Amino acid sequence: MGLEIMDLTKEFHGFKAVNRVSFSFDNNGVYGLLGVNGAGKTTLMRMICTLIHPTSGSITYDGKDIFELDGEYRKILGYLPQEFGFYPEFTVVDYLRYIASIKGLSQVAARKKVDLVLRQVGMEKSKRIKMKKLSGGMKRRVGIAQAILNDPQILILDEPTAGLDPNERIRFRNLISELSQNRIVLLSTHIISDIESVASRVFFMKDGEITLSGRVEEILGTVPAKVWICEMTPEEADRIQKQYSVSNRRLHQGSVELRVITEERPVENAREENLTLEDLFLYVFGEKGDDTNGEI
Amino acid sequence: MIQMVRFEIKKMLSKTGGKIALVMIFMIVVIVSVFAVRSVDFVKSDGSSITGIRAAKELRYMKSAWTGYLTEDVFAEVIRLNAEVEETPEAQSKDWHESNKAYAMKQGYLDIRDIINSALSPFREYNYYNIDGADPGVASEIYERRIANLEKWLASDEAKDRYSETKKQFFVDQYSEIETPLYYEDADGWKALLEYSKTVIMLTMLILSFLVCNIFSGEYHLKADSVFFSSLEGRRKGVKAKLLAGLLLISIIYWSVILIYSLVVLSALGSGGWNCPIQVSLYGWKSFYNITFLENYTLTVLGGYVGILFILTTELFISVITRSAVVSITFPFVLLFLPSFVGSINSISGILGLMPDQLLQISVAVRLFNAYEFGNTVVGALPILFMVYSMLFMILIPVIYRVFRRAEVC
Repeated sequence: MGLEIMDLTKEFHGFKAVNRVSFSFDNNGVYGLLGVNGAGKTTLMRMICTLIHPTSGSITYDGKDIFELDGEYRKILGYLPQEFGFYPEFTVVDYLRYIASIKGLSQVAARKKVDLVLRQVGMEKSKRIKMKKLSGGMKRRVGIAQAILNDPQILILDEPTAGLDPNERIRFRNLISELSQNRIVLLSTHIISDIESVASRVFFMKDGEITLSGRVEEILGTVPAKVWICEMTPEEADRIQKQYSVSNRRLHQGSVELRVITEERPVENAREENLTLEDLFLYVFGEKGDDTNGEI
Repeated sequence: MIQMVRFEIKKMLSKTGGKIALVMIFMIVVIVSVFAVRSVDFVKSDGSSITGIRAAKELRYMKSAWTGYLTEDVFAEVIRLNAEVEETPEAQSKDWHESNKAYAMKQGYLDIRDIINSALSPFREYNYYNIDGADPGVASEIYERRIANLEKWLASDEAKDRYSETKKQFFVDQYSEIETPLYYEDADGWKALLEYSKTVIMLTMLILSFLVCNIFSGEYHLKADSVFFSSLEGRRKGVKAKLLAGLLLISIIYWSVILIYSLVVLSALGSGGWNCPIQVSLYGWKSFYNITFLENYTLTVLGGYVGILFILTTELFISVITRSAVVSITFPFVLLFLPSFVGSINSISGILGLMPDQLLQISVAVRLFNAYEFGNTVVGALPILFMVYSMLFMILIPVIYRVFRRAEVC
């Protein structure tokens, strides 16, 4: 039971943004969704949030279609979209109280819950500030706060840590981990380390399809790729970089140290290392992984 | 629900544009009220003139002598008094200051003088000096001449093909049905109120259109739609709250504007004459609607309300469909200004009489000869306007609800 996605497809004018995606969320925990821009992650999440209807396939919760469940399903849903919009003239507390009202919380419950989530995201001192005056990190925190106002059983977070500084990211990671103890959290991100440390299961999405899925250690073992550390001259490094996927390049005492991902040893003196999720991301998505502005 | 409505109203009013709109509405009420009050002028016996509250008070005092039924004797008395004034050196003088003194002597019966002038003029004309050479004998024909003038006009080249025989008969019947002699009392307050009501209502509508245009499209514009629609009440009470907040804001602001405007003008110029038929003034002499000043003003403000509700609800509907406040806000402007551009096309004059902008200017519409035939029954434009746009408004509300709650966030 739980949340189940079956053969889900979404077409926009003949273009398949999501193509026959199937998976299920049986247990509470963090489910990581990885993919480059345009892979279909946001479209998939929007369908799970009932914001758009699928072209075909189904999404069920406890065996019932989520679109038929209507409000009953949205009652247990929390969503932080990638582009988190808000009402700029509202103060943080007003914004959250408004969202609490459309989430069906009574006025008394809303007051208590708003105070609680503000403490959870560390925004209690900024609650009287207008939303338009918040920093990017603070806005994301309010975004998380609104998503958990109704104690959702299903929490969908689309790029929740985008634009946050390292301290805030760590704080978020811990919060997400804490929240996942008693709910399903679907987390989409470019930042591999966010998922690596908290996700119980990971999905790799490419061109609208799930290409890899499973527990981190499981999927790392399913691919034939290996990681090689190679030390060489800059000229040689340029040649190797054109030939293979390179997840890191570091200058080291006049020579260059490359982290190469390939199935075969790229050069004689290459030293094999353990494959990480970040390496795997580059292996799966190739050069397209570059459009994440170095976040991976 | 109340909480949601409260926040929706806050969304509209917390923006700088919303605050400016509120200030503008307040300023408009004040300015138009001042204009209305100052529209009443009184010429003192020395030829100098004053306007506003004092002028209204002086006029009220002078006109009070003529309160009562406008019988043949009253008309004859006005013709006689007017002739007497015309014989005075002040009236004969070419000096405007002296002429003003003569005018000052006529002010008490100016409204009755206007009626006599209208009765003595062809239907589509008005000659201020007609009474000057009039025989007191015409006093007995004033009401008959009103009907005769209409009949003559309906048979003229201008109107003979414009109306069917049934419609012509309807207009004549309406004219004949009015109970004469008409009861007269000074109604300068109501006349000023009616004259400027169109300005107040139209400007209020335009400003309100700015205030409410973002109720629905704002969610898309601010990218707040994802959170809104993925929430429990986002596709249910959330939509109802938006509609309710919009209607509440429109209603509260509109009726506040009308209340302030009416109170200011009537307290300054007087509220007497409310029960007089509008035909006892130059303003309503030719109207085929047999109503009093109070009824006319009630229809005007109710019409304004229905019109504003319909126009702004349509604006909201457009914003739901197009997801754009800019596109939706053009609708009220087009609706107001389009009739001015196409008004000269004769073939569509009948349709123009039923456009929703007419509801915003009932004080003007009561003087227009717009009537419509349904089988053998002829109905004036006003009942049709009220019925059609009230119904369309009531249809639009559930349509907006259904369309918006099914919106997808792509």
